[in-house]
Amino acid sequence: MNEQDLTAMKKRVQRLIYMAAGGKISEEELGQHSIDLRTIGLDSLGYLNLLEGLERTFGVAIDLDNEEDHSFLHTIDNIVRYLVAHRGEAA
Amino acid sequence: MSGRIREEMSACLDRHRGRRAVVGGAEALTYEELGERVRGVAAWLNENLNENLPSGKSAPRHVGFCLANRPEYVTLYFGTLFAGDLPLLLDANFNTGEIAAIRDDCGLDALVIERAKAEKLDIPGKLDPVPFADDVVLLPLARLGAPRFQARPATEVCRFTSGTTGRPKCLEFSGPAVVSAARNWVLGTGMTGDDRTLCLAALSNGLAFNTSLLASFVAGAELHFLRGSPLTRPVARRIAESRITRLVAFPTLYRNFVAPGGPDRETMASLKHAISAGAPLWPDVREEFRTLYGRDISDYYGIAETGPCTFERDAGHHTGLGQPLPGAEIRIDLQDGQETDQEAGEILVRTASMAGGYLNHPGLFEQRLDAEGFYHSGDCGRLVDGRLHLVGRTQDHINVAGRKIDPTEIVDLVTALPGVADAVAFPDEDLNREALVHLVVAAAGEGLTKAAVAAACRSRLAAYKVPGRISFVAEIPRTGIGKPRIALLREQLHQVGTDGKETPG
Repeated sequence: MNEQDLTAMKKRVQRLIYMAAGGKISEEELGQHSIDLRTIGLDSLGYLNLLEGLERTFGVAIDLDNEEDHSFLHTIDNIVRYLVAHRGEAA
Repeated sequence: MSGRIREEMSACLDRHRGRRAVVGGAEALTYEELGERVRGVAAWLNENLNENLPSGKSAPRHVGFCLANRPEYVTLYFGTLFAGDLPLLLDANFNTGEIAAIRDDCGLDALVIERAKAEKLDIPGKLDPVPFADDVVLLPLARLGAPRFQARPATEVCRFTSGTTGRPKCLEFSGPAVVSAARNWVLGTGMTGDDRTLCLAALSNGLAFNTSLLASFVAGAELHFLRGSPLTRPVARRIAESRITRLVAFPTLYRNFVAPGGPDRETMASLKHAISAGAPLWPDVREEFRTLYGRDISDYYGIAETGPCTFERDAGHHTGLGQPLPGAEIRIDLQDGQETDQEAGEILVRTASMAGGYLNHPGLFEQRLDAEGFYHSGDCGRLVDGRLHLVGRTQDHINVAGRKIDPTEIVDLVTALPGVADAVAFPDEDLNREALVHLVVAAAGEGLTKAAVAAACRSRLAAYKVPGRISFVAEIPRTGIGKPRIALLREQLHQVGTDGKETPG
């Protein structure tokens, strides 16, 4: 995946998080792709919405029970790395 | 303790032996296997827990449950009851401070908790694995003297509601109350031994506790759990694979079901009852669900203090919260003292499954009962042709995902921060129409930021109490007697772009 595609994917993830949080986290805060989403207010309901959005948008099947380390969901950078590695698996 | 729940469950285990009782992931237990495990847990508790008590077992031991839904929850819960002990069902998201407050108030001799979570809590103690689940431990807790309050002799189970200042309120339930709730739910909703309930609401919550935990076994039905996050895909797969007939969930899940890309009608064909609670269900989601899957969602109305209240039995009736369940009586209390069938007023409820009281707030529950034992719910509604319709709240509490939050706790915290001149908190909605607490701050000068206020709230409030939206205004409009003018404030915020300014000035 080239740099342009990665940037586009980050923007899509950023928008998904904004929607998942119901607009409670500002686009400005989400512009920092390495910030821990939990520290800026992404709560359990927000994460549930985000997981739904990631599954439907990128075709990934995220089973948290099978993932010992959940840090792949903590920042936008980590989420994008995970998506690049797993996208299309649920298809 | 009378052991009424143990007696009822024993009869269920005998009556339905051979049938499947609990299913979670790949594991399924018959009623016979469940009974063996329950008795095994009781024996294990009696053998292992006494050594941690200063004077051995002389009274029911208080065993806290801080556990997500799983088959072992059922085994350990009934095992505790079969050992003659008192289970206290905590919210699995309670933090160290809230658990410590419960220990001080109510007495906690041990905590059943997932090992990974126990290791994160700042509570010292040896982690003993419990029978039948390697990743769940029993954490014995040293009592720091006697608890501040003593449970009533008739109490068999305790559950919690969100209290203020980090002290959850502990509700006591007698055995007959718990058994009545289960039996009346079975009777009122037509639950049978052919039912398979997938329970996605936490068992510590009134919805799941009353509709699933004992009720399933009274009916001889199957109780299913899902591990992991309740995402649409795995939930739908479980419904199809296990031919689930009842789904116990919450509005957000139903909204996700009806969103584009949700499951098809065939996947959901086995479902007879979809039950929602925790927050009001959006009417359009209810409508869309009916269109897509041919099933109504029952918007459950129950109160933590009274248990289940209503259920809609008529599949063709699409509005309101249904009729009172067996054992439940509902009245509408109008301000002028007149009760009618059409007008809105405070909902009063009397059931056969009422709590005995709050263990750690003596007298508070009793204050809300009228002379005839009807509980003042704080909800406003009307009865139309015997069906309950909810209108709003008569109290100032903010309901976020089924948890009632006292706005004064947030306002008191924020107004004590340096640089804050005034503050008010009120209910609002996010872009997904989920309820949230909107905090509006008037700063005393420059320098105060939204991030600083948010950080202060996050560090001192339970996560669910942290305001979902924070706005700054120059001044909070108030009436002559100092009451905030919320409607005017909403209008002002809407005019500046719904969210106020990031910083004062």
